[in-house]
Amino acid sequence: MENDSNKKTILIVEDDEFLRSLTAKRLEKENYRIEVAVDGENAISTVESVKPDLILLDLLLPGKDGFEVLKKIRLTESTKGIPVIIFSNLGQKEDIEKAKALGVDDFLIKANFTLDDVVGKIKKLIVGQ
Amino acid sequence: METPQHVHLLELGHRTVNPLVFWGVITTVLSVVLVLIINTAGVQSGIYLLFLVPVMAYLAIMGFFIAYVSKLNRERNRLLADQVRAETTKTGEFQKLNQELEAYAKQLFDKDFELTLANKRLQNLEQAKSKFVSVTTHQLRTPLSAIKWTFHMLLQGNLGPTTSEQHTFIEKGYESTQRMIAIINDLLNVDYMEIDHADYNFLPVDLPALIESVLFEFTNQAESKKITLKFNKPPSAPPPVLADPIKVSMVLENLIDNAIKYTPRTGQVTVSVSDARMNSARGDLEVVVSDNGIGIPPAERDKIFHRFFRGSNATKVQTDGTGLGLFISRDIVEKHGGAVWFESAVGQGTQFHFTLPLHRLSS
Repeated sequence: MENDSNKKTILIVEDDEFLRSLTAKRLEKENYRIEVAVDGENAISTVESVKPDLILLDLLLPGKDGFEVLKKIRLTESTKGIPVIIFSNLGQKEDIEKAKALGVDDFLIKANFTLDDVVGKIKKLIVGQ
Repeated sequence: METPQHVHLLELGHRTVNPLVFWGVITTVLSVVLVLIINTAGVQSGIYLLFLVPVMAYLAIMGFFIAYVSKLNRERNRLLADQVRAETTKTGEFQKLNQELEAYAKQLFDKDFELTLANKRLQNLEQAKSKFVSVTTHQLRTPLSAIKWTFHMLLQGNLGPTTSEQHTFIEKGYESTQRMIAIINDLLNVDYMEIDHADYNFLPVDLPALIESVLFEFTNQAESKKITLKFNKPPSAPPPVLADPIKVSMVLENLIDNAIKYTPRTGQVTVSVSDARMNSARGDLEVVVSDNGIGIPPAERDKIFHRFFRGSNATKVQTDGTGLGLFISRDIVEKHGGAVWFESAVGQGTQFHFTLPLHRLSS
């Protein structure tokens, strides 16, 4: 078996280029394989083709927003079990409750966490690391 | 309204004359003419006198009768005229009142319309303000996240080595970013509280579990200052409280964050929860967040819960803070029907207490 196939895949859904590259850079250091998506449509198709081990999902995205992406993931048989962390700068009570109702695993407000904190959260959610 | 009986009045030119008076005058004139004719005809004076007596008597009775009836008629007409005048006056007054009422109703309607408009404008303004705050803060948080993460990765050495001088500067940059994020979060919370004060979602909440999850968020922050975070769980699980878990988390976050911020390195922050029903009238379950930090100066103890207030010694230890945390916390606890208070000794530490009511089955 190739070494690379043992790596867990994380899909980063983020429209801001710099945030995306920083997150990717930090997660690559943890030896994850990184996939990126820049909008909602892109995210849905990547989830279905790549079947990542975890999704880091922004909420404010061009086109379909993060809530719609989450809903689609949870309604699709082959993807509904994938852990999803909402990673956004939205974070009012309504947003959190809406995401919870849609079956999110964690909800992190970007500005309140560092990427090290995010790594910690990811490790808790990916089993067999 | 009864129609006044004008029918007996005759119109002569523009004057009205009682018919009986009219008739009386005609009779008298005819009698006088008759007497003159007889007199001229040269009838003997005896017959003339005999003839005159009944005529005079008739005239007297007629005159009296006519005068009496005419007086009654005048009286009746006067009364009728009075009645008509009174009715007319009343009608006029009634119309006037009606007009006034209509004017008031119109004024009331106009005022109501103005008020509705003003209220709508205020609501729009309030919505615009909230939207503005929420959009700006969210927009601000994105670039701030980028700055914060970059600084943090530099500090962690994820982006290559830095000299110790560079490290110190980056650290300052990181702290400033943190401060800005804290301010934005507090502003969002205050705005959220103001627009949403009625929107509390009270549920039965396992308070020790909620405290544990909040404490977990502070692990990194405490570790970075080598502060021991301790949770004194009650020996047996207390019954659930009736609370909004998101709002209570906010209170716990504020108190624990303050405790860590205002406690020097290697200090200790302890959270405990106990059943206060036996020894306190202030609430059912009592949470205490205690630290061995800088304490609150006695002169400032009354102001500690005021909006934007920060202790005079706060800035010496840590510049991070807006002075909104305790203001928000007290509001939240009071909306739960609980109380917040504290004890503090400068240089020794502070204990913040708050209480929450138990969840009781509604009777």
